[in-house]
Amino acid sequence: MSTLGQLIISGVLVGGIYALMSIGLTLIFGVLRIVNFAHGEFLMIAMYGAWAITRLLGLNPYIAAIAIVPAMFLFGAIVYRLIISPALDKPHLVVVFATMALSIFIQNAALMIMTADLLDVPPIFGRSLTIGPIYIKVELLLGFIITIFCTVGLQWMIRTTYLGKAIRATVQDGEAAMLMGIPVPRIFLITFAVGSALVGLAACVMMPLFSVFPTVGLNFVLIAFVIVVLGGMGSIEGALLGGICVGVVQSLSSYYVAPAFGQLFFFVLFLLVMIFRPNGLLGQKGAATVGMNE
Amino acid sequence: MRSFLRLSAMFASIMLMFAMNANAQEPIRIGVLLPFTGPLAKNGIENWEAMQIARDMINERGGVNGRKIEFVQGDATTPNAAISETERLITKEGIKITTGSFASPLAIAVSQAAERHGVFHWETTGAAEVITRRGFKNTFQVGAPARKYSQAAVDFIVEDLAARLKKPMSELRIALLWENRAFGKSVGDGVRAYSEKKSIKLVYDEGYDQTTTDMTPVVQKLKDVKPDVLIAISFPNDAILFQRKAKELDFNVGAFIGVSAGYSAPDLRDSLGNSVTGIFVADFPPKVNANVLKPEVKKVAEEFYKRYEAKLKRAPAGHAAAGFSAVWALFTEVLPKAKTYEPGELRELALKLDLPEGSLVNGSGIKFTNFDWPDDPKDAGQNLRASIGVWQWTKDGNEQVFPPSLATHEPIQVPMPAWDKR
Repeated sequence: MSTLGQLIISGVLVGGIYALMSIGLTLIFGVLRIVNFAHGEFLMIAMYGAWAITRLLGLNPYIAAIAIVPAMFLFGAIVYRLIISPALDKPHLVVVFATMALSIFIQNAALMIMTADLLDVPPIFGRSLTIGPIYIKVELLLGFIITIFCTVGLQWMIRTTYLGKAIRATVQDGEAAMLMGIPVPRIFLITFAVGSALVGLAACVMMPLFSVFPTVGLNFVLIAFVIVVLGGMGSIEGALLGGICVGVVQSLSSYYVAPAFGQLFFFVLFLLVMIFRPNGLLGQKGAATVGMNE
Repeated sequence: MRSFLRLSAMFASIMLMFAMNANAQEPIRIGVLLPFTGPLAKNGIENWEAMQIARDMINERGGVNGRKIEFVQGDATTPNAAISETERLITKEGIKITTGSFASPLAIAVSQAAERHGVFHWETTGAAEVITRRGFKNTFQVGAPARKYSQAAVDFIVEDLAARLKKPMSELRIALLWENRAFGKSVGDGVRAYSEKKSIKLVYDEGYDQTTTDMTPVVQKLKDVKPDVLIAISFPNDAILFQRKAKELDFNVGAFIGVSAGYSAPDLRDSLGNSVTGIFVADFPPKVNANVLKPEVKKVAEEFYKRYEAKLKRAPAGHAAAGFSAVWALFTEVLPKAKTYEPGELRELALKLDLPEGSLVNGSGIKFTNFDWPDDPKDAGQNLRASIGVWQWTKDGNEQVFPPSLATHEPIQVPMPAWDKR
């Protein structure tokens, strides 16, 4: 019983972390209708940044977020201007190849500059919390709480603020939005930058838990893609739910079947959802084409 | 006309004399294939440093038969690059002797290219069994083959740990965890096969994916199985994730044996801090008990460790020591007896070697197979006297603990203290 409890709690918490790194991807997808294949590399860059601030300035990675989040916002804006924006009105494959190329470029640049060494920051909290027989790592719990705040905050922003309304209008009908005086290209730019900033936040939360190295993005990006599609492309709370599902399924199947099959099972779950709910768990009808939920 | 011929013959012979004389002073050029860039560069450069120390030491002693040793580098980043770089050194640089190449997939590639051109390849640390089992004539694997890693780990449990854990072998619970790609799987298979041979039953035996992001299920399962000894084959990232998760979930084990790769990486301590202390590693010995070494080798060893530590500010890892040992043997045992330095002659000389254990700096001896090994008659160029053993992470470095003949230290922290007492 305690084993099952431990597996579920760990799965939920780590799923929260997965969700946090997927929100940016789903947001960008929902609004711009593009898949950023360099998402994992954005995460890697931000993790290096968080590492540098933590190690060199002796700050806590959570505090590093104050610098990393705006820096990634800026980085996202620059990438949008230089690479995404020129490719947007071209055939869809152009964006795919452009972000793919960016991914390979960033990976190799990181390999040259940072070498293949694993870098990490020392753990912040020495011991785990214990509730009865169940152990909870404080960093994971904190990460989960940050994810919840982020999801709620982002939802609130999209539902109530002017910017949020403009984003929703752009999603519903880009041309009509433009006619109503909404600066659609600027909305795209801001969305892409916010999506990148969210990866920056995820990186700061992940830094005390994982090592960073040039190909670290590859370990996570596949999970992020599954979560985004599972939750319903463009759905923010869907990403949270999808993340938790993946975390728990991975945890339970690795334990009860075999660790090597953890990934197999969340892909099976993924296929099942695709067959029975093609728009994802929380994606409403046609989410794959419409993107953002109402 | 006749006098002209005579004159020109005289002239030619004089020229030839000069040429031969010049030849005697020309350096012996050796191709070094290592990953100098890319993901394996760290280990590649470590090996390179050790080999350079060997080259400098031999050249300071006057070289080999009066000829200096010169290294020509080839950057073997990946198996494909390894092949093209080996080809380049052979065809463009005229190299006839190659060495290197750190990792097994690279060693397989380099030796293949060398064999194709009939070039003598002296492999320092590539461990895959297949390296010597392809019927190649010019490949010599000086370091220990893969199965010996597994045997060292199991022998260590049987001959040493069981008594320290105060349990008979029949009651000792041994678990095996392996990453499920080529290296982890082959070493895991080795441990399983050798355990069966020794009629040891494993209480847990599972593979996991190296790119996993959550170790909870693995650690939880081990926690439920409650092993006394855990043998783990991991790469650095998963080794770190595993150790952190073990701490998080308070998973304790009497003794922990990592096999090479992730657990022997010198920077493991940077990531895990002092919680590495007490972990055993089955691997090439980084430094063996000097008493097993022949007196003249002992002096060489002292000089090597002194120079390495001065240069890199830390002790060499097992791979680096093996790299030095292998090229030093090439410089002092093979090349000095050569006249033509042609691959065919070097092969004969290598096969004649019959050096007892303790002849190389890392405690190895040399005796190569030549299609005459009873376990596999297709095997040629495997060193049957390569040393392997178990060392342990200590508070401020590492110490060889097994086999007793090579040990520099008694194993400490058996059973391992629980996480809250470390």
